[in-house]
Amino acid sequence: MFSQTVIEDVLGTALSTGGDFSEIFIEDRFTNNMTLQSGKIETCLSGRDFGIGIRVFKGLQSVYAYTTDFSKEGLIKAAKNAAQAIQGNTIIKLPPFVQESYGTNHPIQLMPQDVDKSRKVAIMKTAYDSAKDYHDSISQVTVRYMDEEQNVLIANSEGKYIEDKRVRSRLAIQAVAVRDNQMEAGSYGPGAHQGFEFFENLNTDHYAQEAARIAVTMLDASPCPSGKFPIIIDNEFGGVIFHEACGHGLEATSVAKNNSVFAGRIGEKVAPEIVTYIDDGTLPNEWGSLNIDDEGEKTRKNILIENGILKGYLIDKFNSRRMGMEATGSGRRQSFRFAPTSRMTNTYIAPGKSSPAEIIANTENGIYTKYMGGGQVNPATGDYNFAIMEAYEVKNGKLGRPLKGATLIGNGPKTLQLVDMVGNNLGHGTGMCGSLSGTIPVNVGQPMIRVSEITVGGTKGE
Amino acid sequence: MEIQEFKTMLFSEAQKSGFTDIEIYYEKKEVFGCQVYKGEIDQYEIAEDGGVSFRGMVNGKMGYAYSEKTDDTSIPFLLNNAKENATFMNDDSMEEIFAGSSQYEQRNFFCSSITDVSIPEKIQFIKDVERELFAQDPRIVATDYCSIRTESVTRNLANNKGLSLQDKINYLYVIVEAIAKDGEETKTSVEFEITKDFHQLNAKEIAKKAAEEAISQFGSRNIKSKDYSVLLRNDAAANLFATFSSNFSAENTQAGISSLNDKLGNQIASQKISIVDDPLLENGLASRTFDSEGVASKKLTLVQSGVLQSLLHNQKTAKKDQTETTGHAHKDSYKTAVKVGPSNLYIEPSTTSFEELLASMGEGILITNLSGLHSGANQISGDFSVAANGFFVKDGKISFPVNLMTIAGNFYQLLQNVEEIGSDLIFPLSPIGSPSVLIKSLSVTVE
Repeated sequence: MFSQTVIEDVLGTALSTGGDFSEIFIEDRFTNNMTLQSGKIETCLSGRDFGIGIRVFKGLQSVYAYTTDFSKEGLIKAAKNAAQAIQGNTIIKLPPFVQESYGTNHPIQLMPQDVDKSRKVAIMKTAYDSAKDYHDSISQVTVRYMDEEQNVLIANSEGKYIEDKRVRSRLAIQAVAVRDNQMEAGSYGPGAHQGFEFFENLNTDHYAQEAARIAVTMLDASPCPSGKFPIIIDNEFGGVIFHEACGHGLEATSVAKNNSVFAGRIGEKVAPEIVTYIDDGTLPNEWGSLNIDDEGEKTRKNILIENGILKGYLIDKFNSRRMGMEATGSGRRQSFRFAPTSRMTNTYIAPGKSSPAEIIANTENGIYTKYMGGGQVNPATGDYNFAIMEAYEVKNGKLGRPLKGATLIGNGPKTLQLVDMVGNNLGHGTGMCGSLSGTIPVNVGQPMIRVSEITVGGTKGE
Repeated sequence: MEIQEFKTMLFSEAQKSGFTDIEIYYEKKEVFGCQVYKGEIDQYEIAEDGGVSFRGMVNGKMGYAYSEKTDDTSIPFLLNNAKENATFMNDDSMEEIFAGSSQYEQRNFFCSSITDVSIPEKIQFIKDVERELFAQDPRIVATDYCSIRTESVTRNLANNKGLSLQDKINYLYVIVEAIAKDGEETKTSVEFEITKDFHQLNAKEIAKKAAEEAISQFGSRNIKSKDYSVLLRNDAAANLFATFSSNFSAENTQAGISSLNDKLGNQIASQKISIVDDPLLENGLASRTFDSEGVASKKLTLVQSGVLQSLLHNQKTAKKDQTETTGHAHKDSYKTAVKVGPSNLYIEPSTTSFEELLASMGEGILITNLSGLHSGANQISGDFSVAANGFFVKDGKISFPVNLMTIAGNFYQLLQNVEEIGSDLIFPLSPIGSPSVLIKSLSVTVE
């Protein structure tokens, strides 16, 4: 994309006022987004995102500049702009670049840009028909298709020079069911760090029918009762609760400033022994996977909580300075428009010993959540909330009627302590996570989990 | 390549490759941001960026593509992709390139006083905010962010039907989070100020508000979970309203995913409620003189005394409903297709003060913050169940903070159940605004 000499000039200019570290992030991304609604293609968009981010550190000061001007003069101007905010004396000499290559953990067979769009449209039509035909009450189906190829080049004043290609594919299906004046929706959105082969191997009918089934089931659902209940959270996207309840609190973004409920607690018992919590960016072809993070660090398997004991945090380069701890390959950003910070990749609770049937049979009066919606947390207080998409009451160890319209609220560290059963059916769910450095693809995963008590905010009083 | 040169080349190449109607939309943005931590600059951001969107008719169908790189290679990329994309569109898509409105308002949404203030002056200001924050109370122990930011955006739209439009807008905002600790209790608050006049900002005032909001939550108690009268403070009401605003889009009613379908002329809300969209609002965050199709902007009444008067339309949805466009063609950016969306959308304020609303509620819950709206609200059914912070109100006065709650209900029922509207219209860092809203009854669950 750019010659090494230009990049050296940019990194040097960025350090010209006394910075002690500089970095350049060049991004060239090709995307396709399509929407199918009422049986017709509603939008069909292709685009090229392109830009350059330049970062300079001096001690615990971080300066970020970005631009879409790719001329040499434009880059030097951006580097000068960044340098302007730094005041220092020592000028660092750049070491020679060491070109690194890690190969790939995530092989891509069919580059999305090489696949005819009619094949993509065909996948969407299959999903549409499958959901629409599921039941008479399905009134509308929206299918979204997305693929992208993100090419990045990262170089820094420590001599790092590395390129990476990230390819992602995702299909999202939303079905709406209508009866009388009632409208309900269900959705499912599988995705992977993979090329077009992802769609070819996908059981599209299954996901489309699940979206439709949820919408139809919710037509018959009763208002969820409010109060405190034992909650059984099924696998895959159910993991969003621990993404919110403890994942965000383990990110250096809040830990470094001592603003997280988990700050300064390494070695402490923060969860029951049956809980092991892992963030692993290396899982082959998973949605949240990366060969290298957005600072050029190799991703790895980070054990955050092991048998209940807090083992580590997710740390980016800048916060590693504040914390005096090593970066963990967790520096991520949505695009060149964002400075990276510590973020999750594929986070999950390791499988336990209980079978799902056993967990349900062992629950007297509780709520089983089959599919979760999204959620949110305040890392400083640990207070979280998240929405239930499909749930059932559990009475005397058996599943009862479907429930709707509920949100779970609570405090992350407290909820973590209340996990009392962990299933053996680990699965990963696909999600998008929004935080300081933008919205990024992450996996949330878990086996079925039971928490002895969570507050449920339903529409029906106690 | 300069944008004018790029445009000329793109139009010429597009015509050669069979496009009849051609439009280029481009944005340019300049950003400055600075965050401080413990009296030092912690994060500093400066940027210039933008991109180009191409839209064109080929064989009677509309094709789209965008690029942030404006070089030689991007022209064939845009044209080839737009052409291929067009083949998948339906013949009856009704999208067209607009020749122009007869008249456009001459407005200036760009305030040079924001750019005239020097960067050191802005940095000093935000350092003052942080210092004042900690000076307010010893229980204020930290802040996760304390920052100042300015953005200026130029939007251009030009087509080969003779239209060439430009809007320029800028704004400055300050945002500060306060983290307060008292024993085992931790409370947070976020305070912001958005303005076109830097010199009107008062560091101490902002810090004081942030600190007071965090501290006021200490000593929270449990109350019984049941249905209560609820006063949604202006910021919370605006956030809830924003979550359901897409239901006013004709695109959504036509697709059968908005419950407002066939409700024109019906009483959909309490008589107290009037809703307007004003793209020409002087200090609005989404102010503009033309929409994403180039249609001239004007103020629109959506709901008058509870009766649904109009939906938001672009040209395509208007044709389908056999009506006129309201000038609400919307693109999130040059990266997206022309959809329908609001500009500055708000519930009209009354003359009743916040204190009067509190007094008239007598007993109930004051909600000051909602979270989880992106997930806990079903935009299609209108059902919501979301986390909330707030206070128990007794004898018309704030009595004590309540433990973390959820409030649950249905947006359409809530509109019908509005008893009173406040005078305190606010746009909480968003172009969708509301005054405080008093609601007869909502289900409240306390942790």
